[in-house]
Amino acid sequence: MIRDTRISGYQLSLLMMSFIFGSSAIVAPAATAGQDAWLAFILGWLGGLLLMWLYVTIYLDNPSRTLIEILRICFGKYLGSVLALLYIAYFLHLASFVFRDYGEYLTLTTYTLTPIAFTIGCFALLVAYCLKKGLEVTGRAAEILIPYLFIVAIIVFLTLIPEYELKNLTPILENGFAPVADSSLRVLTFPFGETVIFLMIFPALYSARKVERIAFLSVSIMGFTLLSITVREVLSLGPDLLIRLVFPPSISTELTPKIQFDPLIAVNLLLGGWIKITVCLYAAVVGITQLLGLDDYRHFVLPAAILAVGLSLWTFNNIFELMHISQKLYYYYVIPFQVIIPVFILVITKLKKVFKAK
Amino acid sequence: MFSRLKKKFKYWQLMSKANQEKNSPPRKEKIPESTSELKEKLRQVFAECDDFRLREIIVGEKKFKLNIAFVDNLISRQAFNDNLLKPLMDPHLTALLPADNQDKIIAYLKENILNLAEIKEQTDFKESVQNILNGESVIYIEGSSTALVASIKGWEARTVQEPQTETVVRGPREGFVEDLGVNCALIRRKIRNPNLKMELRKIGQKTGTNICLCYLKGIADEELINEVKKRISQINIDAVLESGYLEEMIEDNPFTFFPLIGNSEKPDIVAGKILEGRVAIVCDGTPFALTVPYLFLETLQASEDYYTRSITSSILRILRLVSLFISLLLPGLYVAFLNFHQAALPLNFLLTIAASREGVPFSPFTEALFMGLTFEILQEAGIRMPRPIGQAISIVGALVIGEASVRAGLVSDPMVIVTAITAISTFILPPLQRMLPYFRLIFIILANILGLLGMVLGLIAIITHMCALRSFGVPYLTPFAPSSPLDMKDTLFRFPHWLMFTRPRALTWQETGRAKYRIDLASSIKNKTNLENRKKMKNDLAKNREG
Repeated sequence: MIRDTRISGYQLSLLMMSFIFGSSAIVAPAATAGQDAWLAFILGWLGGLLLMWLYVTIYLDNPSRTLIEILRICFGKYLGSVLALLYIAYFLHLASFVFRDYGEYLTLTTYTLTPIAFTIGCFALLVAYCLKKGLEVTGRAAEILIPYLFIVAIIVFLTLIPEYELKNLTPILENGFAPVADSSLRVLTFPFGETVIFLMIFPALYSARKVERIAFLSVSIMGFTLLSITVREVLSLGPDLLIRLVFPPSISTELTPKIQFDPLIAVNLLLGGWIKITVCLYAAVVGITQLLGLDDYRHFVLPAAILAVGLSLWTFNNIFELMHISQKLYYYYVIPFQVIIPVFILVITKLKKVFKAK
Repeated sequence: MFSRLKKKFKYWQLMSKANQEKNSPPRKEKIPESTSELKEKLRQVFAECDDFRLREIIVGEKKFKLNIAFVDNLISRQAFNDNLLKPLMDPHLTALLPADNQDKIIAYLKENILNLAEIKEQTDFKESVQNILNGESVIYIEGSSTALVASIKGWEARTVQEPQTETVVRGPREGFVEDLGVNCALIRRKIRNPNLKMELRKIGQKTGTNICLCYLKGIADEELINEVKKRISQINIDAVLESGYLEEMIEDNPFTFFPLIGNSEKPDIVAGKILEGRVAIVCDGTPFALTVPYLFLETLQASEDYYTRSITSSILRILRLVSLFISLLLPGLYVAFLNFHQAALPLNFLLTIAASREGVPFSPFTEALFMGLTFEILQEAGIRMPRPIGQAISIVGALVIGEASVRAGLVSDPMVIVTAITAISTFILPPLQRMLPYFRLIFIILANILGLLGMVLGLIAIITHMCALRSFGVPYLTPFAPSSPLDMKDTLFRFPHWLMFTRPRALTWQETGRAKYRIDLASSIKNKTNLENRKKMKNDLAKNREG
């Protein structure tokens, strides 16, 4: 079942791009750096490319194996299984983060009277349906829907041009380099570092040789799109507002003369979040199936979706807690998953190769 | 629950298969040699069939008894008299009939006496009964277990007319009729190619309806042809009165609103689809031929696109797509924007709507439901109603429901406009016309619950559903998803014919070796060089004249 899943290079790149775009549509990345957000973002983006190189190298050293199998090969059966379990928990947790982001955004901006559990639940049903149909079908649906994401990004960027003020970019490096570095580290872990999840999806690609090109191309394209969003936010809102707002894009779109694009941003969030959660849950359920040595992941879809929804509702009491965790604590929590363990994997596989050669 | 149903289904299928096998190889029954025995048998079979005729004649000097059996009104009397009876009863012709050997007599009758285009021998009694029922005349010869089947069919049938469902401004006006033979001939006249294969099958245990598979060998995918044949051979049904019966029996997914098998009443459309590598199934007794596989793209295509200029037809295609979205989403959007996203509308527009909604007692959701329901009722009544009363519909629809409900303040003006635009847009896409109202309803409900977001959720779900659909193994949304850039030439834009180098990749079969599709580039380049040569010649001629 898992081995049968096959997606094309174009589909994979669309999945990757919308995964990276994901909830970055509503929280301007690197917002904490104020007027230097663009600089922080570019640094984070370069770091993201480096991380992508790390993941792709790991995959190319262990072709057509998922992360779970790679972990078991590198760390042995027991430690590997424990790490795999941690990764699965991380994927589910990531899905719950996106669910909550999405729910909070909608509750805060448009659907003030709708209970957050309802919006999240509807979304979870959709995601579960897509997963039941399989990753191939989701990939095909992405081919139709995801280009819309870029169209909206371009439209919003262009319509806001009258509101741009270049003086919002100055003074450069007002508080020294420290806030920029801090902010770029955040960009590195969210959204770029999260692409570690694609180690679960690379094996589904038709032509494995293309992985390198597709991965770097999608990270570059999406980096560019997110850069345009960051620059848009800085130019239109100014550093003071940018640092204070929870969801800057919803405010900046209200600045558009004569018309309000807020629903469009929400739709964009939905499209990005849909793929992001689908990918997260797919990785989680495939991980569970492989960990248990089963064949069909479809049985785990609904339980995993329900678990993610439950997590998203229970882990945070309110939006401030969510923001606090995602801004202050998130990167301590994810750096082991995104950087440390992959580096260990890389070193171990390389060492194994060297020893084998001898 | 579904798995249980599935198991039951499988059980039924297996049971019916077992029954079929029990019934299948039908034992051959010899045709009785003596006249009296034959008459008795025929009388048994055709007891109380008053339209059955048995004509006994005595031929030649040796006085052979011939029994000609046929069903009245299924044969042409004129041909029967002129081509069958006249030569048989002509003593000059039958004088030379060989004396005793029955085989020789049959050969002589076939070769020298009967002046008919189609005549064949039949040795099985049951089959001969089937022939009689098909409208052929069966000549039983005394003392022989072989009968002659003469085809002089002729019955009252509709002539080839312009179809009412698919009208065109430019293009051929002929449409299929209810007769299988005529329909096949209409297709054959479009594609004069021996590779156009027409395979006859008989479906329906009680009706014995003839159907015909038409495909272009070498272009249609071999696997597809086999799949169609396999599915058709598995049909186990009593009656086939229309191609809709077949459609339901062979489609991939019975639980979907989307049409997975195409139908058309026009030979030029069917011929075009056959040329693209599809298989057509023509069914006797209906002017609607089926084409498989059917892609979603085809709902946006019209035959006229290919007959008019490519630019205009491309614009029309985009118009059709836009109208698809209008008819799907507009009422939902109206509800969503009025309920949740008032701020997203320009202020003046919002004020106008608010002014016309003043005093309307219902929410936009109720209004949309009410108007949608009214329209569906009107439409259904318009189709079912006898023609002469049709006038009443338009009066009731336009005056009572449109005008009066607005004036009474029950429905707002914008809602009437929305309903009208939606309704008109629906008619642009005839294949989807029957399913669009349900999706519209879903979108109205979603819009009322979650606004624009609900609609996008629904849209994603529907598109995912469509991506999961397959029609005879071909993904339903090809060439959009999975995308194939080469096939985009005939989607939202209809490229000029001289730019269409390749056939649709998902449908066609490789001609040789590894090539998945054939590029006709070589021939087009040849044409180009021809053009260049011609230009050269022209230049030379001009120079000569000047010289």
